Amino acid sequence: MRFAEKVATVTPAAPARRVRSLSDRTIAWLFIAPTIVLLLAINVFPLIWTVRLSFTNYRANRMNVPLRDVGLQHYNDILTSPDVWAAMQVTARFVIATILIQTVLGFALAWLVDKKFRGHGLWTTVILLPMMLSPAVVGNFWTFLYQPQIGLFNYVVSFFTGIPPSSFQMLGDLTLSPWAIVLVDTWMWTPYVMLICLAGLRSIPDYIYEAAEVDRASKWRQFWTITLPMAAPFIMLAVLFRAIENFKMFDMVNLLTGGGPGSTTEVASITLKREAFEKWRTGYSSAFAIILFVTVFGLANIYVKALNRLKQR
Amino acid sequence: MASVEFVRISKRFKDVEAVADLSLTIADGEFVVLLGPTGAGKTTTLRLAAGLERADVGSIRIGGVDRTSADPALRDVAFVFQQYSLYPHLSVYDNLAFPLRSPLCRMAEDAIRARVTEIARLLHIDDKLQSPATRLSGGQMQRVAIGRALVRRPSAYLMDEPLSSLDAKLRADLRLELVRIQQELGATILYVTHDQIEAMTMADRIGVMEAGRLVQVGTPRDIYENPSTIHVATRLGHPVVNLIPRGLIPDLPAPPRAVLIGARTEHLRLSKAGGSAQASNLVGSLSWIEHLGDQNHLHLKVGDMELVTLADPESGLSVGDRVSVALARPLFFDDAGQRITV
Repeated sequence: MRFAEKVATVTPAAPARRVRSLSDRTIAWLFIAPTIVLLLAINVFPLIWTVRLSFTNYRANRMNVPLRDVGLQHYNDILTSPDVWAAMQVTARFVIATILIQTVLGFALAWLVDKKFRGHGLWTTVILLPMMLSPAVVGNFWTFLYQPQIGLFNYVVSFFTGIPPSSFQMLGDLTLSPWAIVLVDTWMWTPYVMLICLAGLRSIPDYIYEAAEVDRASKWRQFWTITLPMAAPFIMLAVLFRAIENFKMFDMVNLLTGGGPGSTTEVASITLKREAFEKWRTGYSSAFAIILFVTVFGLANIYVKALNRLKQR
Repeated sequence: MASVEFVRISKRFKDVEAVADLSLTIADGEFVVLLGPTGAGKTTTLRLAAGLERADVGSIRIGGVDRTSADPALRDVAFVFQQYSLYPHLSVYDNLAFPLRSPLCRMAEDAIRARVTEIARLLHIDDKLQSPATRLSGGQMQRVAIGRALVRRPSAYLMDEPLSSLDAKLRADLRLELVRIQQELGATILYVTHDQIEAMTMADRIGVMEAGRLVQVGTPRDIYENPSTIHVATRLGHPVVNLIPRGLIPDLPAPPRAVLIGARTEHLRLSKAGGSAQASNLVGSLSWIEHLGDQNHLHLKVGDMELVTLADPESGLSVGDRVSVALARPLFFDDAGQRITV
């Protein structure tokens, strides 16, 4: 009681009352308001603005042309355009190829690293290095590696197969160039898949394996009935992340081939960039961006539902 | 079923000696319980038998065959882990069938089904067979884990505190059930626990462990009545044995080296203090009574030490009474904690 009185006389009355007049809820809102404003300004507003532009003839290089509403014209054009369908197919093939290779390789590497052999920590770090580089840097130095005359890649291939190094061009060939990009993407992102798979493998407790060991399950059976099913949710998560990333893959393709030769490596994001910043069809490319966004969002949602069902089993 | 023999086994983990020079033979069809506090090396001993750890020194023979460095699968033992080590993505049925589907087992699917349903009924989990293993309560999971061992007919069952996570009622039921199964099958069981009731009620023989060493092996009765050290004496009996300094009862006839006198709660004879007390009796006052329903624990103050004794609820004693205590069957220990037999 006496303590309370002392506090009451020491504390100045007026400011205390003013602070108390703000409710906890108000104070909470005050704290998060800057973040929300920022989020609205740089995420939500551009999205809404893109939707708005997708219904107009707006061109970012001709700001003074009066804005005209074209309705669903752009959407109609895009969904019936053979070029867009070609780009979508290239993208799909690219996504499927990279995910298949990266998942198998990534899981295999994770499985090996998890064996905890001597120096496995060092090897994990070494394997993770490519992932830590900037995609721009990776794209640039692989352009040099793929150089038919001076590039290291052709010489290595030639060393193992005997094919003369200057007889083929990884980036200029119609059949080789998609694989050139798949290879670089795999080199760079397999470690990422490995990391997630490793987390999955590490989450399996040792005593499960000990129980299986005593239950006389072979290593082969342990892998198929314990390791794989228990790591599956993690593997599927890695696939999801990689699929979303590669669906909007841009930097590496742009640096390595720019969509060429012809349009063999022209993924959707390259087409989008051409429409937006070479042909300056801002309204049209806005509509394209929205379509891509909805596609990725829809596919990812279906996938997440499947993932949840797997986890609940 | 087969016998399990440990011959001078030692095992170190870095600088901790988990098991030191342990020799123990579990005869074919025998139920042996290893009893001891946490960290005494009980679990390590069990894991050594299963092949989940390799002994540094010594040998392990199962069914007369040296299995010291054999893989777990080749030892033909079943193990119940202390944690519920179920395969989380499999149903209860598949968990129970898992060991029977081993290539070393070669059982037809019908036979597997019959065995699994039989064991599930025994453990009262037959209505859960189709549920995923992770949707069970703790007690149910542990029963599945026990069931996964029981579906097999191995050389020996190794059980690491299998009942410790169950509630009291289920524990009592399963205790009886395990003993019944063991006698029916003539199973060899090595069982680890820190629960003295489990040890006393289930074991043919108890091995008491302390700091990696097997201190005493014998029948439950033998261990209880003739403990070889203070440690063994305090391990069994609840409330724990009273340890009275020799100096407090100078008139009691005792061997010369005796330093502490152990008196089990049920071996203290109480009477209201009167003129007729013998010289060898302790005299104290009743400081506190714990009512347990079927019996009472009486806390006595004798000098500055406290004794605990059992009494009939009808004894008529109440707090503050002066009582005299006579010792029946005292146990004498020397200053190293070793029992001195008279």
